[in-house]
Amino acid sequence: MRTCQPFIRRFTGKSLLLGLLLSIGLIARSQDGTLTVIGNSKGVPSEMKMADLRSVFMAERQRWNDGTKVIIAMIKSTTPLGKVVSKRIYSMSGDEVRGFWAGISFAGKFESPVTFNTVSELESYVAQNPGTIAILDKPTESAEVKTILIDGKKTF
Amino acid sequence: MYFRSKVIFRLAATLAMLYLSLSSLAQRTQIRGFVDVLSTLQDGKVSFGFGEQDLFITSELNDRISFLGESVFKFTPTTPTEFSVSVERVIIKYNYIGNHNLLIGKHHTPLNYWNDTYHHGRVFFPTIDRPLLFAANIIPLHTVGVDLQGHDLGAVKFGYDFMVGNGLGSNEVSDNDKFKSVTAAIHIKPVDKLRLGLSYYYDVISKGADVHGKVINWQVDQQLLSGSIAYFGRKFEFLAESTLGFDHTDTTGTKQTSASYIYAGYKIHEKFIPYVRFDYLQYQDGEIYFTKNNTTSIVGGIRFQINYLAVVKLEYQHMKADIEGNVDKFTAQFAIGF
Repeated sequence: MRTCQPFIRRFTGKSLLLGLLLSIGLIARSQDGTLTVIGNSKGVPSEMKMADLRSVFMAERQRWNDGTKVIIAMIKSTTPLGKVVSKRIYSMSGDEVRGFWAGISFAGKFESPVTFNTVSELESYVAQNPGTIAILDKPTESAEVKTILIDGKKTF
Repeated sequence: MYFRSKVIFRLAATLAMLYLSLSSLAQRTQIRGFVDVLSTLQDGKVSFGFGEQDLFITSELNDRISFLGESVFKFTPTTPTEFSVSVERVIIKYNYIGNHNLLIGKHHTPLNYWNDTYHHGRVFFPTIDRPLLFAANIIPLHTVGVDLQGHDLGAVKFGYDFMVGNGLGSNEVSDNDKFKSVTAAIHIKPVDKLRLGLSYYYDVISKGADVHGKVINWQVDQQLLSGSIAYFGRKFEFLAESTLGFDHTDTTGTKQTSASYIYAGYKIHEKFIPYVRFDYLQYQDGEIYFTKNNTTSIVGGIRFQINYLAVVKLEYQHMKADIEGNVDKFTAQFAIGF
């Protein structure tokens, strides 16, 4: 029994360390968030590369391949999802993203995105407006919009 | 026959109403404003004031046509009310294909990064004021005319502007002479946050033209060549622009002017950015179009971004110029957007 104690202590210590690391990993993962891209059935392609997605959200593309106007719809960057999108897509804070769009719009380069408070409003807008693309925090259950594969995956 | 005409009329009226309602549904209009308040300390005297009040409107009329208007209310001591309204930009944009647009109206001449990016919203300026080459009228700030514009084309994100306009000496509604100004500008964005640009401007300024309140007594053939490097990264900000001006008259030949500035800032925190800017204006002897005023200036300051629409800047400037002599000035500015 006495000989087992150091082993148990070591084992318990390793388990705790492993558990702690796993927890940190999971917390970090939930803060990063899993994202899904949705689009209107007209204009928005069914599959995109991550670099192309970023390019669209950085106001670098005015039209989709079929000529439909690119419309960017976003959840407000003050919401938890908005903060995740700001970080993952723009590598910016929510405030910096709002500043980015204010500058772009003021220079006359691109119209500001249409913004919403809730995911349901966002989905509804995407469903009704051709060429609209948006980012959600979970796979969509709406049959009126399509999920865009990013680098071949439904979520990233 | 009467009945058929009545039906056709009603059908046309219904279609017109439907079209108008659809158009109004599609239209998206935004109105914003910008203003700044200032305090300066110069020659032992503290002054308070405010800058331009900028009214900014954008509207999407349909999926191809959009409008941008920018009007400024500003202090103008020469008017009876000491204020004037200035229409700074009126642009109707038509997106004819992909990332290619036709822009018609009054533009900020796309000669350099600053003039094409910051316009009149002080809240976006990295420093309190524009670089000195603007105040010295080295570049024509505005052009009324037509611009063919493209952006983010290909792997290097190539962009271009080709603009034909009324040119210097003309007013908002007509040209003062038969000559047109031509602006050709290109840029690339080879890596994220970096933009490299080159531009060329040509104009003939007629004898007798009134440019920036100064009557030009000789015909001047003007060429401007500009280059710019802009990098606004997560931590480091860098903007350097240089313009070479070549003014030719029959009596003086070609005289060269160079105007440059370098700005650098470093984000020590998301909200705090200390910065410096160095300006340099150099005129060749015999220059008759620009007001010869060789100038060097250094600006050091700190920018505090309260949020994206509220910025406080504190700045010290030391300037040495032929006309003004040595100038030392402290300025505090609170710029907002609303």
